[in-house]
Amino acid sequence: MLSAQRLDENPCRPRHFRPPPCTPLVTDERQAIVLETCRSRLVLTAALFAVVFVVVALRLADVVLLSGINAESHAVRPGMTATPPLRADIIDRNGRLLATTLTSPSLYADPRQIIDARAAVRAITSVLPQLDPAEIYAKLTSGKSFVWIKRQLTPRQEYEINRLGIPGLQFRHEDRRVYPFGDLAAHAVGFCGIDNNGLAGIERALDTTLKASPGPIRLSLDVRVQFILHEELTKVVNDFSAKGAAGIVMNVRTGEIIGMVSLPDFDPNHPGRADPNLPPAEEKERTFNKITLGDYEMGSTFKIFNTAMALDAGTTSLTRTYDAIHPIHIGRFTITDYHGKHRMLSVPEIFMYSSNIGSARMALEAGAERQRAFLARLGLLKPEPVSFDKVSTPQFPNPWREVNVITIAYGHGISVSPLHVATAVSAIVNGGILRPPTLLALPPGTVPAGKRVISQKTSEEMRKLLRLVVEYGTARFANVPGYVVGGKTGTAEKNQNGRYELKKLMSDFVGVFPMQDPKYVVMTLVDEPHGTKASHGYATAGWTVVPATGRIIQRIAPILGVPPVDQTSPAIVQALAVRSLMGKKIEAY
Amino acid sequence: MKRLGIMVWFVLVLGAGLTTFTVKYAVQNVEDELNRVRKQTVAERQEIRVLNAEWTYLNQPERLAELNQRFLGLVPITAKQLQQSIADIPLRAPAPAPAPAPDVVVAASPEPAAPPPASQSAIAPVAYSPAAAAPPATTEPSTAPISLDALIAQAAATNPEPAAPPTAPPTAPPAAANQPAIAPVADGPVPAPAAAPISATPISATPISAAPISAAPVQLARAEPNTAPNSLDALIAQIAEAK
Repeated sequence: MLSAQRLDENPCRPRHFRPPPCTPLVTDERQAIVLETCRSRLVLTAALFAVVFVVVALRLADVVLLSGINAESHAVRPGMTATPPLRADIIDRNGRLLATTLTSPSLYADPRQIIDARAAVRAITSVLPQLDPAEIYAKLTSGKSFVWIKRQLTPRQEYEINRLGIPGLQFRHEDRRVYPFGDLAAHAVGFCGIDNNGLAGIERALDTTLKASPGPIRLSLDVRVQFILHEELTKVVNDFSAKGAAGIVMNVRTGEIIGMVSLPDFDPNHPGRADPNLPPAEEKERTFNKITLGDYEMGSTFKIFNTAMALDAGTTSLTRTYDAIHPIHIGRFTITDYHGKHRMLSVPEIFMYSSNIGSARMALEAGAERQRAFLARLGLLKPEPVSFDKVSTPQFPNPWREVNVITIAYGHGISVSPLHVATAVSAIVNGGILRPPTLLALPPGTVPAGKRVISQKTSEEMRKLLRLVVEYGTARFANVPGYVVGGKTGTAEKNQNGRYELKKLMSDFVGVFPMQDPKYVVMTLVDEPHGTKASHGYATAGWTVVPATGRIIQRIAPILGVPPVDQTSPAIVQALAVRSLMGKKIEAY
Repeated sequence: MKRLGIMVWFVLVLGAGLTTFTVKYAVQNVEDELNRVRKQTVAERQEIRVLNAEWTYLNQPERLAELNQRFLGLVPITAKQLQQSIADIPLRAPAPAPAPAPDVVVAASPEPAAPPPASQSAIAPVAYSPAAAAPPATTEPSTAPISLDALIAQAAATNPEPAAPPTAPPTAPPAAANQPAIAPVADGPVPAPAAAPISATPISATPISAAPISAAPVQLARAEPNTAPNSLDALIAQIAEAK
């Protein structure tokens, strides 16, 4: 209740002011009620405000004292230099840089800001002598607001230009892909276009990953192996004036590709400009990866699969012998041997001497259905399941007739890529487990899941047979001391427009080492080699790619950590001995 | 009493104002510093990338092979040089007979003292420094080679003669120690026995005298293949021209 007395007791009342005595307030019921309502409303409003202020205070305390300052949200503010994510590097298995992104300055000018164009031209050309002064002068006096002077300068040139101190000259920084190893891993790594989108190889296959990845992508390649492969294959191409060559080194247990070279190749730093004088077809040939995209008839190399098929199916055994005296006549074809022995040959001898007749008889015995199913099981009838590159689709006959059974037994009438062969041979020698090839490094010690394609026993028998070929057969030039190499050669005439060209060969060799416990497979092939004096005019695999593969193995084995062994030690001789040939004098091929 | 109260408030307000002022400026300074450091980080990162690329470029196997041929004459290790078991190592002769020394060196390191690339990289430091000295005008980008050169010079100084370990095997370990560690081959429970190429040289390599090395700068300046760009800089320039 307001009253005169209480008003008078107001301490804030000005002292000189005395309220006049007034009539006591009439205690009006109605007025009292109104005052009461007002007060309660005031209290309510005050309470509301109090609540809001408490909330604000709490929130303040929460933000300032409890949650602290979130450094991240503070860190990036507009105007600050936030680094745009660069395309990730590509490195080899040892961390060597295969592809990286460098930011390089490009010089442009705002001609309206140039005070003395003549002096500016003189200064610019003193730093960049390759520029045409007249052209630059025209640009600088064009009156536009933006002209490029020179794209992609080096850091040094940027520094020099800046030092000239010419107003109106500016830099814009652009990212560019650089491949420090040049053509060394051109086909595997691929290349990027001007806008840094991957156009080939890993760059294309992992384009989105590379754009988003914070760290480098590690490939299974080893630059040192790659170099050795490249060097030796180049030598083969030069020595035998061949059209091209290709090679692949694969870890038989993991499917990792350690080296992959296809010649001729290109420099990914300027793809499509290998040589301006080259015709477009030649240009295309350079960017064509023979390992993944080439489909070739592999010739006798296919006898590996033929023999493994017959042994695994149980239709033959190492002790069986076949008639290699009489040629096989089927339709208009006659199947003969290249270097016929003209006698009964056992299975190891058929393999060692690369007898077409014997192989054909083994295949016929097993039958078309088995042969087809086996090759399908090894993945030789469909594209390799890889994510790192475009791959070829094998070509094989349909329907699968008897004549096809015979030709496929020795590797004609079916075309597969070298990648197929390397992968399938890996499965044959590693104990029988097929694993998809990969170009991405696996963490050390991991072995990806695979599927069994042949038995352990067949795999061990095949190792012995492969060793025989290098010891006594067509691949003796690959017998590198210490590394117990095994393998199989193949020489096929190239099929052009349905006709086999006698003079155009495709020679290939699959080498495996060390044979007592296979670790790596090296597959090489050479396209249209020509015999030389040193090779006595031969252009077959035994004279071309086999010695090269021997040298490759000799050089890469120490790098890959394969310890050399004494080939004559009893343990190894025992492990690789073929019982049916024991005690016999093995005649050389 | 009242006056005192006003003074107190005044001082408080002034104090608060001053504090806010200083804190604001301190924060601004810190932020400027942060921005500067961040920019510097970006620049340094970029420089590292350039140096990395440059280093890789200089370590191209072809180049190393050529330098090796010219200065060191190392040859690939052969199976004969890699002994298998400890029993294969001959015992040290009581007399100072120098004969089995290289074999000991090779055989004693089946556990790699350094990873295989040591051999390749080890060639670089010695061979590179004269190379960088000879053609200074054309090769280096503004900042890169200064530090690189310094690094290399340092490496060369600490290890002046890695090419001549035939009589003094102890020089080999520092050469290996200078090299960056490189991840072992993924397959490898088997240690790479190629660790020994440096020490293995004496067996089959032609003996190296100091003469070719002292003659190096002149030789190298001329012998650079003129088609291949001899530095990353040149490479970049070439690419730029292409585009």
